[in-house]
Amino acid sequence: MTLKLADPVVVPGGADARCDDVLRAGIGSGITIENVTKRYGAFVAADRISLDIQPGEFVTLLGPSGSGKTTLLNLLAGFQRVDGGEIRVDGKPVQNVPVHKRGFGMVFQSYALFPNMTVAQNVGFPMRMAGINRADTDRRVAETLGMMQLSDSAAKMPSEMSGGQQQRVAIARSIVMRPKVVLMDEPLSALDRRLRESIQMEIRDLHRTIGSTFLFVTHDQSEALTMSDRIAVMDAGRIIQVDRPETIYRQPCNRFVAGFVGESNLIDAEIVRREGAALVLRTKTGHIFRSPAPEEVSGRNVTVLVRPERLILSDTPGQESIPARVKSALFLGEILRIEVTLDSGETLLVRCSDSAGQTLPAPGSMVHVSWGMSDGWVLA
Amino acid sequence: MTQTDAHDGNPGVTPSRSLSERLKDPALLLIPAFAFLGFMYLLPLTDLMQTSVEGDPWWADLQRVLSVPLYFDSLVRTMNIALTVALLCALIGYPAALLIQRTKGITQVLVAMAIILPYFIAILIRTYAWMVLLGRNGPINKFAVWIGAFDEPVGLLFNRGSVLLGMTAVLLPIMVLSIYSSLSRLDPALVRAAMANGAGPLAAFWRVLLPLTLPGVGAGFLLVFVQALGFFITPSLLGGPGDMMFAMHITQQADSITGEGFLQALAVVLLVLTLVVVAIAGRFLGFEFIWGGERKAPMPKAQQNVDRPRPARGGTKAALADRVGWPLLRGLGALNARWGEWTVRVLAICVIATLVLPIVVVMIISFSKASYLTFPPTEYSLRWYEKFFSDRNWMSAFWNSLFIAIMSAGISVTLGATAAMGIVRSSIRGKSTLMLLLVSPIIVPPVVLGLSLYSLFLKFDMVGTYWGLAAAHSIGGIPIVVVIVAAALQGVDRRLEQGAAVHGASPLTVFRKVTLPAIAPGLGAAVFFAFLHSFDELVLTLFLSSPRMKTLPLMLWGDINYQLNPVLAVVSTLEVLLVVGGIILARPVFARARAGT
Repeated sequence: MTLKLADPVVVPGGADARCDDVLRAGIGSGITIENVTKRYGAFVAADRISLDIQPGEFVTLLGPSGSGKTTLLNLLAGFQRVDGGEIRVDGKPVQNVPVHKRGFGMVFQSYALFPNMTVAQNVGFPMRMAGINRADTDRRVAETLGMMQLSDSAAKMPSEMSGGQQQRVAIARSIVMRPKVVLMDEPLSALDRRLRESIQMEIRDLHRTIGSTFLFVTHDQSEALTMSDRIAVMDAGRIIQVDRPETIYRQPCNRFVAGFVGESNLIDAEIVRREGAALVLRTKTGHIFRSPAPEEVSGRNVTVLVRPERLILSDTPGQESIPARVKSALFLGEILRIEVTLDSGETLLVRCSDSAGQTLPAPGSMVHVSWGMSDGWVLA
Repeated sequence: MTQTDAHDGNPGVTPSRSLSERLKDPALLLIPAFAFLGFMYLLPLTDLMQTSVEGDPWWADLQRVLSVPLYFDSLVRTMNIALTVALLCALIGYPAALLIQRTKGITQVLVAMAIILPYFIAILIRTYAWMVLLGRNGPINKFAVWIGAFDEPVGLLFNRGSVLLGMTAVLLPIMVLSIYSSLSRLDPALVRAAMANGAGPLAAFWRVLLPLTLPGVGAGFLLVFVQALGFFITPSLLGGPGDMMFAMHITQQADSITGEGFLQALAVVLLVLTLVVVAIAGRFLGFEFIWGGERKAPMPKAQQNVDRPRPARGGTKAALADRVGWPLLRGLGALNARWGEWTVRVLAICVIATLVLPIVVVMIISFSKASYLTFPPTEYSLRWYEKFFSDRNWMSAFWNSLFIAIMSAGISVTLGATAAMGIVRSSIRGKSTLMLLLVSPIIVPPVVLGLSLYSLFLKFDMVGTYWGLAAAHSIGGIPIVVVIVAAALQGVDRRLEQGAAVHGASPLTVFRKVTLPAIAPGLGAAVFFAFLHSFDELVLTLFLSSPRMKTLPLMLWGDINYQLNPVLAVVSTLEVLLVVGGIILARPVFARARAGT
């Protein structure tokens, strides 16, 4: 999509990450979360969480419900007070700054548009609250509505709009002040898939254009992978892993992350020896294979992650291949989804893209499973 | 018992058909309630109106009412008082509703109970409590003398101030409930969104919370206003000669011998005034405000009609809010946010004290030994309890009230529950009109209703009979039952019933096994409130009872006017215990009912 701005921001090369970083640093705020704890009675919703967010970064908090991601967002917004630890924005502690003086933008899951105001009044609300004069407010509101392609809806009431349109208004409201920080609490979860994907791209582009620091909460892993500079995976009130999306997907730190982000095959194996950055391993069925591994691995028995799309099926045995029996085979359109059972009883999931002439293997038939030397990952 | 009542009530509806057939045509279930209300409510009111225009020319009596300064002034005064009371209720009810919404857990339950419980206690008793509180030997005078504010006890009763205070205290729970239901329907994220977007607590209140709960405030305001228009008990007991409200003139005239027609004209003026107010309010708010519903707009067309003019109206309102309200509030905004929190808390605590303290004082006084009212009692004893339980008059009044209330609850639930079923489950046309008719007795001033019923009772020789009184009380009981049961029925998931039917349950079994258990809590609550309504009823009873037939409220009324002794406090205490006990027993039921809606 194209963005229209009164003072266009020149983005050389568009998608070049480094240029973006330079550009954003001037606008967004850096956020430091240090040992932040929040309790509700005996329940610890946030357990000594620490996270450093760079100015202008797009960070996603990803986790199942109850993992503490929304709590962390609410602590940052100031709806709740931290019980321990500190949150600093641009180096300044914000614990004692009331919500309305933090100057963040925020998008809510339920949109939270004021039903008694028009779209333009909703978007202009933060500017009125900041005491900005009417002429400037009107100009900026018009500009922001233009960015979100809502210019025609300015006079509508939120109740007259579809869910997707309402959420765009909510997004417009959150960025109208060009805040240094924009918080988004599962903003797309109420929308259907296609709409969700198109708004994902809009948010991503918006982030590039205005350069604020974005903190995005979701339980949808594919959303997190698509949008973020970095993902913080959360579980039970803690951050489990913070990394770039591809690292989270390819080199998760434990079973939880591996299982929560994407589909995964987890194979139990025993360490034979270390060879530089890789380990030589033996499966329960006695097959020997090599896999990249983190520097520190504890114990002799490990779990190896192999993503379903990295597995290769063939009719004939090859080097380091494991025999297996087909349990089920499904045709999903662009992808074939095949489940196979190893002699050890472990079930593996295989995904391969559809190609001409490929036939679905019959359930019960014998196949040979293999993967490349760099396709596995040992979970620490 | 509730369940069999409602259930056994069905076969009486249309005897020629089987139950299963009848369930297929639920509109027929409306017939008994409408037949009853037609005879007991619409017919007498029509008669009343007819009598009022039998003069020559037809407007002679009505003209007389409006041309006599006594009545015209009283009409103006009545509107004046009602308006003041409604304003007072709105002003102090809002913080109380906010406090219920903002507190959590056990505190919330306690605050809500403190505000809602008095609502279920008879107006007569709450008014009596204020007489005790404000009396010369009452706690307020004692306290003021003790701290040296007054040199000697001052007459705090029988003036405009005591009328306003008493009526506000009596009607406040309606306002709080109305505002609270509006508040609790709001998405809590809205206030957060306002704050996240830079609105301080005051701005969030002024720009978001208040505009969005204005319908609730409006509904509460009108309910209070309409009820205050027809108020009789409280102003009679707390007011002086200069505070005569219109309803009091009607009872006064009913006691003296007046020309036929003039008395009816008085009542018609009050009735028309009430109906006009309700009609105008219904035009803007939707008539749902009468039974505490929010305008639902059953048809998309109506929805559009509601929405369309909004931006325009919002424009003028917003302009007013910007130019006048906001600058004022911004001045307050300079104060620390703590001030706002504390203002809400202190105001709300005052409200709770106003509602609860009188009742507590009365309960304490019932254990007094003195034969006059004094607080705190110098000595304690149970002598007034002994007196109550050994006095034949009090005891027979108690049994009369009990019988009548049980009969009336039976009639109300049978007719009300079937009617609710008919409204919710039939596809009959003009449902909202029918519903409006069913609940309309709530808004008719009881004095008008009592007067209109009197001639009917004379004609059919029902004055002072158990059945007569029970039936009269059911006029007000049916709306209560209809509202509660209809809400419960709407909460029943139709798919559960369909599921049962698909798996082989006959319509009767579906009703017994699925529908009835689901609405049982609602039915239970309906029985309880219909019972209380009759047990506490005074105004209709004043018109329709004979000297030999005394009910408890009637005895109380006589004694309050004649001698203020602690037996009244005993009766009040017992009534409070009845209400508290009933609500505690029904608490799990309410919890389920609330979870269901």
